[in-house]
Amino acid sequence: MFVGTILYAIINSFILIMMAIGFNLTFGISGVANFAFGALYVLSAYGSWILLNLLKMPYLLSVTISILLTSLFGGLIYRLILLRVRGQALSEVIATFGIGLSILELFSYFGLVGFEYTLPVFIDHSFIIFGTYVDAQRLIIAAVGLVLVSSLWLFTHHTSIGLAFRGIAQDERTALTFGIASDRIATLSVSLGAGLAAVAATIIIPLGSIAPAEGYDVLIKALAVCIIGGLGSSGGVIVAGFVIGFAERFTDTYIGSHWTMIISLTAILLVLVIKPSGLFGKQKELEERI
Amino acid sequence: MKLHARLLAFLFVILLVCPVWSAIGNAQEPIVIGIPTSLGFLEGKESLSAVEMAVDEINAAGGVRVGSSKRSFKVESIDLRDAAPGVPVPEALLGLEKIILEKKPAALVVGPFRSEALMAGMDIIAKYKVPLLGTIAMSPGSEKKIKEEPAKYKYVFRTCLNAVHLVKFLAGAMGLINKEFGFNKVYVMHQDVAWARATAELVKSLYFDKNGWTVLGLESYPTGTSDFSSALMKVRSLGAQVIMPIFDMPQSGTLVKQWNAMKVPAILSGFISPLAGSAAWETFDGKIGGATNTIFELGSGIGSGKVPPSKDFFDKYLKKYGKEIQAGHGPAPSYESVYILKEAIERAGSLDPDSIVAELEKTDRIGVLGRVKFDEGHQAVYGFNPQESCVSTVFQWTDSGQRVIVFPETIAEGKIQLPKGLKSLK
Amino acid sequence: MKKRKERIDRGIKARSGDVFTLCSWREMLYLAAPRLLPIIVFLLLPPLLSVYWQKVLLSLAVFALLSISWDLLSQSGMISLGQALFFGMGAYLSGIADHYFGLSPLVAIPLASFLGGAICTLALLPVLRLRGIYFSMVTLVIPLMLVRIIEATRIFGGTEGLTGMTPFPSKWIELYLVITVLLCLLFGFRRMMASDYGLVLKGICDNDRSVTNAGINIYWFKAQALFMASTVGAFSGAFMTHVYLFAGMPVFALDYSILPIAAAVVGGPGSFAGATLGAAILVPLSELLRGIGGLRIVFYGIFLVVFIVALPEGIFHYARRKYHQFERWVEVEK
Repeated sequence: MFVGTILYAIINSFILIMMAIGFNLTFGISGVANFAFGALYVLSAYGSWILLNLLKMPYLLSVTISILLTSLFGGLIYRLILLRVRGQALSEVIATFGIGLSILELFSYFGLVGFEYTLPVFIDHSFIIFGTYVDAQRLIIAAVGLVLVSSLWLFTHHTSIGLAFRGIAQDERTALTFGIASDRIATLSVSLGAGLAAVAATIIIPLGSIAPAEGYDVLIKALAVCIIGGLGSSGGVIVAGFVIGFAERFTDTYIGSHWTMIISLTAILLVLVIKPSGLFGKQKELEERI
Repeated sequence: MKLHARLLAFLFVILLVCPVWSAIGNAQEPIVIGIPTSLGFLEGKESLSAVEMAVDEINAAGGVRVGSSKRSFKVESIDLRDAAPGVPVPEALLGLEKIILEKKPAALVVGPFRSEALMAGMDIIAKYKVPLLGTIAMSPGSEKKIKEEPAKYKYVFRTCLNAVHLVKFLAGAMGLINKEFGFNKVYVMHQDVAWARATAELVKSLYFDKNGWTVLGLESYPTGTSDFSSALMKVRSLGAQVIMPIFDMPQSGTLVKQWNAMKVPAILSGFISPLAGSAAWETFDGKIGGATNTIFELGSGIGSGKVPPSKDFFDKYLKKYGKEIQAGHGPAPSYESVYILKEAIERAGSLDPDSIVAELEKTDRIGVLGRVKFDEGHQAVYGFNPQESCVSTVFQWTDSGQRVIVFPETIAEGKIQLPKGLKSLK
Repeated sequence: MKKRKERIDRGIKARSGDVFTLCSWREMLYLAAPRLLPIIVFLLLPPLLSVYWQKVLLSLAVFALLSISWDLLSQSGMISLGQALFFGMGAYLSGIADHYFGLSPLVAIPLASFLGGAICTLALLPVLRLRGIYFSMVTLVIPLMLVRIIEATRIFGGTEGLTGMTPFPSKWIELYLVITVLLCLLFGFRRMMASDYGLVLKGICDNDRSVTNAGINIYWFKAQALFMASTVGAFSGAFMTHVYLFAGMPVFALDYSILPIAAAVVGGPGSFAGATLGAAILVPLSELLRGIGGLRIVFYGIFLVVFIVALPEGIFHYARRKYHQFERWVEVEK
C-alpha cells in the first residue's frame, strides 16, 4: 500500500511536470503567462483524435501533425495577438484567457464530450512492480518526462537558439544589443510551450478521456506547479512537481480525496505569502513585495 | 416576357394562399414545450432528440386536442450549462427564466442536470406557474420541498428515476451478486454531488448494513477527479470483492481504465455513465466483460424485449437519428413525458397550468418506462414489475461485448455470470 | 508631403472650463449631459423593460458593482483576479444570516456587506505587501480553495448550498435598491479619487516607494481601499443571494472574477464609469447571444481578444476623447 502510493506519487509527479513545463518555459523566456495553455492541451488532443478517427490516418502521423499544428497555432497567437499587447501583463492574461475560453467552449458546443473521445495507449500491458500493478502507459509517462526534461536542459544550454532563449530570459535589452531578435525568440517560446502542451496531451490523455473541462484543470495544475517552483525556473518545476505529486497521492490515500486539491492550494498560498518567487525562483525582493 | 408572367402568377398564388395560411396559423398556434437543460452534455442532447421525436410523432398523428380544437406541439430549447463545472447556478436560472418569459411554454420537459440547480429553480417555476416534467436531476430533496409546500411547488414533476428508487436497483444487483457468488465485501466510491451521496448512503444504511455485508470503505470524490489509484490499491489490499461506483461525470471512465490496468480482483457493479451505452465496448477496447451497470430508466440506452414499447422506442431512435442511444439516463423519460403531457392536456381540455397539474397528478400510463404513476412528491414510482410501475434495469457486459439485462427478474434476459479471473464463494 | 493627426479641444470645452459656463444653457448641458445620462437611463429604464430584461438589468448592475470594486483596487495598485472571493463571501454571509438566524434581507444585506468586507480585508492583510502578479495569484487561489473547503467539510449546506431565503418585498424595491447603490458608488468613488485621498491611492499604484518616502503609511491606505472594494463586492453577493434565493458553492465561480475584469477592460479602467459602461455592454450582449447556446461563450472570448488588441484604452476613454476633442490632419512642418 505504502510502496504502491509512492509509485503512483512518482508517476503523478511526472504527469504534473509534463503539464507545467510548457507553461513554465513560455513564461520564463518571454514573460507571457499563457492562459490559453489548457486549451492548447485540449486542442491538440482533439486534433489527434480527429485525424486518427475521422481521417483514418496512422497513429504516429496524426500525433506528429497535431503536435506541429498546435505549435504553429501557439506561434500564430503570439504573432497576431500577443505582439500587440506585449508587456502589459493584464492584457496578455485577458487575451490568452479569451482565446482559451473560445477554443474550449467551441469544442463543448460541438458536443465532443464523452468517454469515446480518447487516444490509444502506446503499449497495452500491465507490470507488477513491488507488488503493485502499473500499466505501461504510466511508465512511459515517467520515461518521457525524464527524457523531455533532460533534452530541454540540453537544448537551452548547448544550442544557439536555446542560449538565445536564456539570454532573452535574463535581460531582454542586453540580449537585443547582441543581435538576438526578441520577438522572434518570444514567438518561438510560445510556440514551443504550445508544442510541449501537445506532447503532454498525447501521452497523458490515454489514461482518461478528452474533455473541454480538462483544459481548465490543466491550467490550474500548471499554475500551481509553476508558482510553487518559482515562475520561470526549470529546476523549481521539477521539485514542485514532486512536492505536489506526492502531497496529492498521500492525502488521497491517507486523508481523503477531497483534501488533495485543498493541500495543493494551501501550498500555493503559503509559498506566495512566505516566498513569493517560489522555492527556486530568483529573489526579486522589491518587485514582489514592499 | 414569359418569365415575367410566371412570376406574376406565382406572386398572385402566394397572395391568395397567404391569408388562408395565416388564418390556419391563428387557429392552431402550436403549444410550446420548453427544453431548458445542458445541451452540451450527452444526456441533454439525446433527451432533446427524444423529445423532438415524440413531438414529430404526435404532430404527424394530428396533434393535441385542446377542448374542441387540434393543436400541434413545438419544441424550444435553451442551453442552461448547469452541468458544466464553474457555471454559477444564478446564471443557469437566468436561462430558465428566459425561456419561460420569452417562449411562453405551456410546460417544460427535461430540466436542469444538477439537483442543486433544480432545487433553486423550483422557486422560479413556482413563480411563473409552468409545469416541469424533470428527467435528469435526481436528488429526493425536491420531493421534500413539494410535500412541504404542495400549493407552491406542485408544478414540478419527475419522470426519471430518483436517488431513493435507484437504491432499490443497486441493492437488487448486490443481492443478485450475493446470491449467485456469495460475495459480501464491498467498497463504495461515489461522486460528491447531492444525488450520488444520498444514493451511496442509502444503499449502505438500507441494504448493506442489514444484509450482512461488510462495507470496507465509502469514499466520495470531487467532480472532476481523474486518478483513482489510491482507492483501487485499497480495494485490493482490503480484499473487497465488489466495487460499487456511483458517478455521472465523464472522467469516471478513468476508473474503469485503472480498474483494468491495475487488474483489481473485484467485480464492478453500480453506475458509471460512460459504461452505460453500447459504444462503451469499443471505448474500453472490450475489457469490461463481467462489469454490471445500471440503466436508470428502461428505454434509455437499452430496450427490453419483455417491454415492447421500450424496444420500439430504442429502435425508432436508431432509425431516425442513425445511432443508438448512449445515455443511460434521460432520453426515455423525456420521450415519455411528452406523451404524459399530451394526455394531461387533452384530459384537462385547456392550457391552464393548474388544471394541467391536476391532470398530471392523475397520470396512469403504460409506455416505454413501464407504468407511470406519480406519488405525492410528484415522483414517478419505480419498481420491479413493468405492469405495476416504471422500471430501471441492471445489465451485465458479456465477454463477447453484448449487454444482457440481469435484473429485475421480470424483464431479465439472462443470468448474471461470474467475471473471468474471479472465484465464486459458492 | 507628410501629414500628421492633430488633436484639439473643442471650443465648447474650452468655454465651459470656467465659471462663465453658467451663462449659457448649451454649455451647462455640455457639462451635465455625460453625468445626467447614466442617471436618467438607469432610473427610467426599469418600467419600460419586460420582466426578463429587468432581470438582465439587475445582473448588469451587480456586475457593474463588482467591476467598480475591481477598478478601485486596481487604481490602488492591487490587481485582483478573485472578485468571486468578495462576491461569495457576501453571498454566504447573507445566506447564513437569513437561513440560520432568520434575519430579514434589509438587515442581512448591510450586515453581510460590512462583515464580508471586514473578513476579506483581514484575510488579505498578510499579503498586502505583495505586489503585482503575486497579489493577483493569491486572490485567484483563495476562492478556489474556499469552494473545496466547503465541499470537503460540508458546512453551510455543502454542495447543495443554502436555499429558501426571504425574497425582497417587491421587484421594484429590488431593482431600485441596486440601481441607487450603483449610482451613489459610481459618483461617490469618482469624487473620492479626485480628492487628495484618492491622489494617495493613485500614488501607491504609480510608485509605492515614493509614497512611502513622503512619510505616508501605504499599508494603512491599501487596507482602507481593500475594505471599501471588498464591501462593495460583498454587497453585490449578498444582494444576489436574496434575488436568487440561493447561496452555494457556485457563488465562488470563476465567472464572478472574470466578467468584472472583462467589463473594466472593455469599458476602460481607471474611471469607474468605464467599468459601468463595460458591464452595460457585456451583460446584455451575453444575454443576446444566449440564443445561440454554447457558442455564446466562444463569441464572448473572441470579443475580449479583439477588444484588447484593437481598443486597449477602453470605450469610455475613447468616447470621452471624442466628446471633448476633435482631430484633423495637418501638414508636417519641414
